[in-house]
Order: sequence, then C-alpha cells, then structure tokens
Amino acid sequence: MVYKDFRIIWWVKNAHTVFSTIKRNYYLLAILATVLAFAVTASASAQNPTDSIKELHEVTVTSKQPVRTIATSQTLSGADLQALSTTSVADALKYFAGVQIKDYGGLGGLKTINVRSLGAQHVGVYVDGIRLTNAQNGTVDLGKFSLSSMETVSLYNANRLDYCQSASEYASGATVYLQTKRPTHDSLSVQLRNASFHTWMAKVNGQFSWKGWQGFVDGEYCTSRGDYPFRYHSEYEDTVGHRANSDIRYGRVEAALFKDGFSSHIYYYDSERGCPGGIVRRLSDKYTNVGREWDRDFFVQASYQKRFFDKVLFKANTKYANEYLRYCTDYPENQNTARVNNHYRQQDAYGALCAAYMPWDWLSLSSSYDIRYSILKADLKRFDDVKRVDQKLVFAAQMKWNGIQAAVSALHQRYSDWTFVHAGAADPIDKWTPAVSLAYTFHGITVRGWYKEIFRAPTLNDLYYTQVGNRNLKPEDTKQLNLGLEYHWDNRQWAVDAQADIYRNKIENRIVCLPLKGTYTWSMMNYGKTFCRGLNATLKGHYHTKQWNFSLLSSITWQRDVDRTDPTDEDMYDKPICYSPTFSSGITGIAGWRSLQFTTSYLYVGERMWSKADPEDILEPYHNIDMKLSYTHNIKKVSLGLCLEVCDVLDIQYEHIPRYPMPGRNYKLTLSFGV
Amino acid sequence: MKRLLTLFSLTLLYLYHARAQEKIILLNEGMWQADNGRLSYFEDGSIVSNQWFRDSNGMKLGDTPNDIIQINDTLIAIAINWSNIVQFITPDGKAVAATEDIPNNRRLCSDGEYVYVTSYGHECETIEGTVYFDKGFVAKIDISTFKVVATCEVGYEPEGIALYEGHLFVANTGGYAFEEGHEFETTVNIINAGTMTVEKTIDTGVSNLYGEMSQSERYLCINSPGDYYEVSPCGLIFDCKKALDNEDCVVVFDYPATYNTTTLDGKFFAVGSSFSYLTGEYEFSQLTIDPREMIETGGESGLSESLPGTLKADFMSMSQPYGIYVNPYTGYIYGSDAGSFEGAGYLYQWSPEGQLLGKHKVYINPGHFLALPPDGHYDGIGNIAQPQVADYHSAYDLQGRRIGNISQFKKGTIYIKDGKKTLYNR
Repeated sequence: MVYKDFRIIWWVKNAHTVFSTIKRNYYLLAILATVLAFAVTASASAQNPTDSIKELHEVTVTSKQPVRTIATSQTLSGADLQALSTTSVADALKYFAGVQIKDYGGLGGLKTINVRSLGAQHVGVYVDGIRLTNAQNGTVDLGKFSLSSMETVSLYNANRLDYCQSASEYASGATVYLQTKRPTHDSLSVQLRNASFHTWMAKVNGQFSWKGWQGFVDGEYCTSRGDYPFRYHSEYEDTVGHRANSDIRYGRVEAALFKDGFSSHIYYYDSERGCPGGIVRRLSDKYTNVGREWDRDFFVQASYQKRFFDKVLFKANTKYANEYLRYCTDYPENQNTARVNNHYRQQDAYGALCAAYMPWDWLSLSSSYDIRYSILKADLKRFDDVKRVDQKLVFAAQMKWNGIQAAVSALHQRYSDWTFVHAGAADPIDKWTPAVSLAYTFHGITVRGWYKEIFRAPTLNDLYYTQVGNRNLKPEDTKQLNLGLEYHWDNRQWAVDAQADIYRNKIENRIVCLPLKGTYTWSMMNYGKTFCRGLNATLKGHYHTKQWNFSLLSSITWQRDVDRTDPTDEDMYDKPICYSPTFSSGITGIAGWRSLQFTTSYLYVGERMWSKADPEDILEPYHNIDMKLSYTHNIKKVSLGLCLEVCDVLDIQYEHIPRYPMPGRNYKLTLSFGV
Repeated sequence: MKRLLTLFSLTLLYLYHARAQEKIILLNEGMWQADNGRLSYFEDGSIVSNQWFRDSNGMKLGDTPNDIIQINDTLIAIAINWSNIVQFITPDGKAVAATEDIPNNRRLCSDGEYVYVTSYGHECETIEGTVYFDKGFVAKIDISTFKVVATCEVGYEPEGIALYEGHLFVANTGGYAFEEGHEFETTVNIINAGTMTVEKTIDTGVSNLYGEMSQSERYLCINSPGDYYEVSPCGLIFDCKKALDNEDCVVVFDYPATYNTTTLDGKFFAVGSSFSYLTGEYEFSQLTIDPREMIETGGESGLSESLPGTLKADFMSMSQPYGIYVNPYTGYIYGSDAGSFEGAGYLYQWSPEGQLLGKHKVYINPGHFLALPPDGHYDGIGNIAQPQVADYHSAYDLQGRRIGNISQFKKGTIYIKDGKKTLYNR
C-alpha cells in the first residue's frame, strides 16, 4: 500500500471560523442586548464619577475570582513556574494531573497535549482569555510559547468560571490559560544559554510600569542542531545513532501593553525546522527522508473590560492572526516520499462581546457573542481557498449563596464554510451544548460536581484536504462528568492545597483518518466511541520563613480509557485505547535559601500500548528526573544570575510515539543580567 | 477392528499428507514508520509464528514490507519499502543477504537468476556506479552477487511487474500526482529483460495502474483506483502476447480489482470496492475473470460477479479486506482482513471449493502472500537461464561432493553453488 506522507496533514493549518449567518435573529438580539447594556451603563457611569474610581480596583486581573473552586483547575504561577526546569509551556503542563504530552521528539518536534484522553483538538489554549487558533489541524504547538512572559499557566477541565467570559472560552473540552505578566516596575534583563546538542539561545526582556500603564517587550532567538544520541536496545535489536534532521532555528518577538481593564498583545514567531521521521531498520544512513518546515506566525490582540455600578461587567475582545507554513520534502536524499513543496496561508479575524449583570451579590447572568472569520489558502493540487465563519453565543448564570455555588451555561455554535473544492463545502453545523456545575464549601472543603457536553468541529483539513478530506464529517462529541473534592488551608508560614476528582468521559463520532474498505485510499471518517474513567489528584504544600522557602507539588493520574465502538469486535471492544497510560504521576520539590534555589522534578508515566495487535507493542514506562540549580547575585541594582539544569538525569531512553526517541540526559547553562 | 485401524491409519496418513500441502508466508506491512513489518508463517492450518523473521534471525524485518516472491528452491525476496531494503531469505526464514541499492522499492518478479524490482525512487546503486532517474525505474539484481547489474527508467511511480517471454511488463501509476508536478500515468512499459531497455509503451487509457497485479501466463489483471475524484476505479485485462505482436491488448471492465490473484485454472479472482464521498456508501465487487474469454470477446463475456463457495459473503463480513491469494500448488484459497488497523489482522483459509476452513489472528495489515512448494521444490527453477560455465568452479553435487572438473557436470542436474541449488542445463 502507498503510505502517503501523512505528516503534512498534521501540519496543515486548520482554520477556525467566521462570517455570514447573522441571519439568525437571536444573535442580533444578543449583540443588541450587549451593546445596549454597555450604552446604558456607560451613560450611567458618566453621570456618577465616583463609580469609575471604584472600578479601578475591581478590574485588575488579580481581583478575586468568582466561585473558583467550582471548576476543576490546576495552576502553576510565579516562582513555582519559573523554578521548574522548563523552557516551553508544554514542559510545564506535563506536571499537571490528567495531561498526556504527545511529542515527536527532536528539538523542533510538534508538542501537543491531550487532557483526560479527549484528544489534542479538544484542548483550547488561551492567552489572556483569547483563544490561540493555531491553524495546524486545530491543535496548538505549545513549543512555540515561552514561559518567560507568563505569570500563570492554568489548566481547566471543562470551563473556567469567570463572571464575564467570551463564548469561545466555553467551547473546548479542556482549557489552558496562559496569563501574561503585568510588570510592576521597570526592568531590563538579558539571558544567554548554551545547552546540549549544539543549542544556543539569547533572550532580552524589557518591562515598564508608568502611571498605570504597564508593558513588556520580549525577544528570543534560538538555534539548535538537535543531534542527540539515541539507542534502541532489546534482544533483537541494538540500534544506536544520532537524531538527524532534528534541528531548529527560531526567533520570537512579543510585546504587551496593559492599563487597568485594557490589555493587548502582539506576537511574531519565525522558525525553520527539520521534521525527523521514525527510526526504522536501514542498512546505512544513506537515505534520510528529509522533511523541513517553515513557520511564520503573527497575531495581535486586544481586550477591554469595564465594570459599572458594581453590577454590570462588560468585555470586548478582538484579534487578528496571520499564519504561514511551508512544508518541503523536495530533497535528493529523500527517496521514499513524494517530493512536495507546499505553502499554506491562513488569516483569522475575531471579535467578541461579553456582558454580565449581577443584580444581587449572589447572582450573575452573562451572555457573549463571538465571531471568527478564517480563510485558508494552500497550493495543494485539487484544493481551493476555504473560508469559514464560526459564531458562538453563550448564556450563562452563576450563583454563590452560603457556601453553595452553581453555574449553568448553554452554548450555541454555528460553523459555515465556503469553498470551491471539488466536493463542495460541508453543511453548516448548528448545535447547542450545555454545561452545569455545582459545589458546596464547608470548613475549607469544597465538594463539587460538573457535567459538560461539547464538540469539536471538523477542521478544514479534515473536511477539504486533498484526497483524504471528507465533507460529510460530523462533529466529534464529548460528554464529561466530574466529581471532586478540594481543600485549602494556610497560615503565615504554611499553605496546603489538595484536590481530587473522579471523572467519566465519553467521546462519540471520533474524527480519524482511516483507510477505506477494500480500496487503497485513506479518508477522514467519523469512527468510534471511547469511554474513559479516571482519577486526578494533586497536592501542593508551601512553607516559607524569612530565608528559606520550600514547595512540594505533586499530581497523580489513574485512568482507564477503553474502546466502545463495536460490541461484536472482541479484539477491540472494552480494550484500552492506544497511547493512554493507566497511571502517571509527577512530584516536584523546590528548596530556596536566599537567592539560591534548587528544584527537582520527577515524572513517571506508566506503560502505554501503541497497537492492539500484539501485547508486545507497548511503550515501556519511564521515569524522568530533571534538576535545576540557580543562583542570583545582586550588586546594587544589577543582578547577575547563573543557572544549571540537568534534564533526564538518569539518561532514560523513552518515547511518546514508537520509534521517535526523546533526547536522553542533557544540560543547560544560562547566564542572566538584569537591571 | 482391523478395518477400523486401517481407516484410522489412512485418516492419519491423509491428514499428514494434507498438512504438508499448505505452507504460507504472509507479509504483515505493519504501521508506517513504526518499524514493525513482520512475517507470519502458516502451516498445518495454524499459525506457526507471527514474527517468523525475528524468530529465525534474531532481528526485525523492517518498515512496511510490500512484496514477497520466491526466486528458486533456496531463495525468497522481500521488498521492504520504507526501509529501502530488498531482503533475501531462504524458505526456512533465514536471512541470506540484503541490499539498499534500490530505494523506495515496490514490487518484484524473477526469472530464477535475476530479480526485477520496481521503484518510485530516483537513484540506484549499480555495479557501474550510481544512476539517477527523473521518473521511476526497474532494477535488475543478479542473485549470485545481490548487486544491481542494470536498470531501466520507466514512468512515474511504477508498481506491478511481470515477466513474459523475456519481457518485463511494468504498470505505471504516477501515484504522487497530488503532491508532485506530474499527472497520473496510464501506461504499461514493455522492457526487454536481457538488455533492460524499453521496447514499447502501451497507453491503456486508464489512469493510475496501482495495486496488485496478477499474472496468468500471457494475461495480466491490473487494478486502477481512478483519480479518487471524477475518474472511478476499474480493472484491466492485459494480453502480453498481443502487446508484443502489436495487437489490441487491453480490455477494461467497470469494477475495481483492488486485490486479485491467479487461480489454478488460469483465471483471476478479484476483490475490490469503491467509495463515494457524496453518498458515503461503498460498492463492493467480487469477480471471477476468464482473461482469455475477456480478450477474445473484447470484454463482452468472461467476467462473472461471483467467487467460489462462501468467499463473497466472508469478504463482505470483513472490516477491511486486504488481500486474496490462491495457493498455486494446491488451489487452497486465502484472504486477509486488516481489521481496525490498530489491532491485529486476520488470515482466512478456504478450501479450493470456497468452504471457509479457518480464521487466524496474524499481525497489522497482512497484505501479501507466498505459498511454499509442498515438496520443497519450487517449480520455477525450470526458468533458470544458462549460467556461465566459469561460475561452476566451486560447485557441489547433492551428495556434497565437490565438482572438480567442468566435464563432470551433467546437463539438467542440480548442483549446490554458493549455498544455493543451481540447475546446470548447458
């Protein structure tokens, strides 16, 4: 059979959304209502200047989160985040319970996360509340985002529950929130890093805080050969080598500006990387199957939030994104694959209006309307421009009364596409989905339960990609049910947080690429149901004195994720889903003394099957230990820092995908200067 | 009692005899880039091993094996596509040699002395140095050295290859048409196997001649999956003799022949399906084709929509039909089901009359079959071309005695040379 180069598919941009369909009356009504609410309250506030003074305190990002414990969430923030031996957002998320990282290895490899086995496309990633719509097949390559500009990284299963949220924030199975730092003082810092596998990195960060305005500029350049050694050793194999075509070069510049309820962000990323293949039996290194990729991502976004009379909250979001990707395999050493040289361009315009009304302290009612217009162009054969309009409307209510918290929301989504590709555009998707949460808090303990239905729309790739796209795809539906407990206690020196959740997920109409029966063709199809039960638990402890501080962060995940597609298929039915470990856990210890800090992280991921054909087809469990030692020395106003990191201290050879080895032990040495 | 004992012994004898008949090597393609291509070995109505190559050699076969043929009594060739390897093994599974001189190899055929390999690649390492091609090529491997002695450029992405009367017939696909600048191919190249030059190019008028290609003497059964859009799949019967004689040699029929095989009486069995993206429905086809009648009547007759016994129903019940094969020595019929593509596939066995005898769990994507001769002798040995006399300086007879002098060779006798049986017919 011909194995077409399916990697391309994973890289093709998926566009989300926008346009038309304002035919729907209630959308108009919602917009009108929102605008009206804004107009009324704005005029009211103009008449009463004392209100606007009050609002300054209310709208800061760090203001009290409403009914926070009702949602299942995990957060890494500030010092803990910076203390981890991590460079990208993906590295930080792997310490969260319920998270599986998919990583093709190599330094430039695609890194996506899968939460509670829902699949990477059900994870929405948000920067300051606005979704990253990385067009690459509906998933976001988390390797592209740096932690240095982040204040917090949070993972919410189902919804984050804030009083005033955009409709898209209700629209994913799991949400990752990246909250950028709001600087509190002026500073300038420079970092230089040398790391294993010929890696060099330089970073500059400038921040200011002036008369209520805050902002930063962050620039980074990195180059790496990524030629790490690997070894496959078993009774029938002893393969050693260096990873080839695993190099990466990237530059990233971003800037943000904040004032009170206003926040804005501009981002540019430019990279070239090799896409290394699987390590398979070869007689020599003669043929290397070179595939290379170029990315240029740009976005600019702004958000404004304002509160009136303490009773009305209004928010507007807007964003423009432009992404370019080139994938090329047209090289002489590439003997096995077709020689492609494809370019994909996607643009995305987005706007959202949200309004919340709090008639009493204990009740909040909100609504939001989001619209996104996307256009995808590619020079594939048999492909034509695709335009998509994605509209979302949400109605939500939240209450908090004597320790009882409740939230309900109903989300409507409509997707419409226009294209001249051969098969024509898919029929529009038009669907309501609900979510309900309930919680009760007593003596610092919160008991919670929530249920959420949500779907992911087929991406533009899924529908229209040459040869495999299938315009008849239905959305992939998920149903999540969760019961949990959370406990918090603190005093002046100690703080303890503990939570445990049990959950049940069902996925129907999975969108997968399958070979067609009795032909040589592959196609995207809706196929299969899965059922997942699991337990996530986390425990955090902090202790600090004047000179010492200690943190302990731990998480465990137990889950059983099984196939429920065909009850008559005894080989598959009720059998575990591939790549899903039954048990995984992480523990991180941080010890700090004055400006010296030491961090050790330990991660365990249990055995995973990668095929159901043979019990031998498993990925071995692995242990991963990372260590980090950093020291900062202050001379007057200048700070000098030195940091040594050792990753995979035990040099364990492991994989997330069979035959895609991960780097073993590696070192990073970073020097930093700051004023 | 005596009668019963006799009956019992006869039954045992029959069983023993029957068991010795069926020896099948099945190629499991595995998953792309997972390095898990495997051989299954089936004998006695049961699977002996689903990792036969590894059992025999202590190493893995490679990534995405695509074709397997027997060359002579002692040698089998396997084209391992993504590993860029042509692997040679003995009929008992022992690795003999391997070459990576033919990257992106696809399909094989042999005259007993040389192996001919089609390739989608653009370069080939030969005894005269590296040769480059714009399109695809056919390589000729000398099995006494396992080196490529000659090549011949053909169309883009050549697939099926067959040998008839000293000529190679190569079906071109142009399968990379969506990714690369060229269009689908519609041609069959006819190559002189001795000189390795294209003598003729027949335009069949049908694009993308991709998939299994079976041969029944002068006739070939070729599949065309179409262009996956407007052009629907179909099948072709190709008459090699007429092609050589410059006569009309192609009959096209409206059913895909995705998986096909040659029967003992010189017909073809074909299984295929077409899928409509508009309706989301499959149309299945199960065919028995009499190629002579098809050619003689210009496609008017010779094709029946049936297969023996329960084959049709059994294929319909599979989740993913992936191959059909008739044991050329015994007439027993085999089929494979690739299952869910994440799980194991199945090997089906039917009697020559089409009665289902069993279903056996194998490995991922079982797609290609090779029956070993029941008596251990591959009858293809008669096709050996004349070896050079000078090659016989260190040969042994079947009793293991060294042949010291050329005059000691007897015409038509088999000798052992370089560990392989070789026919002396000078």
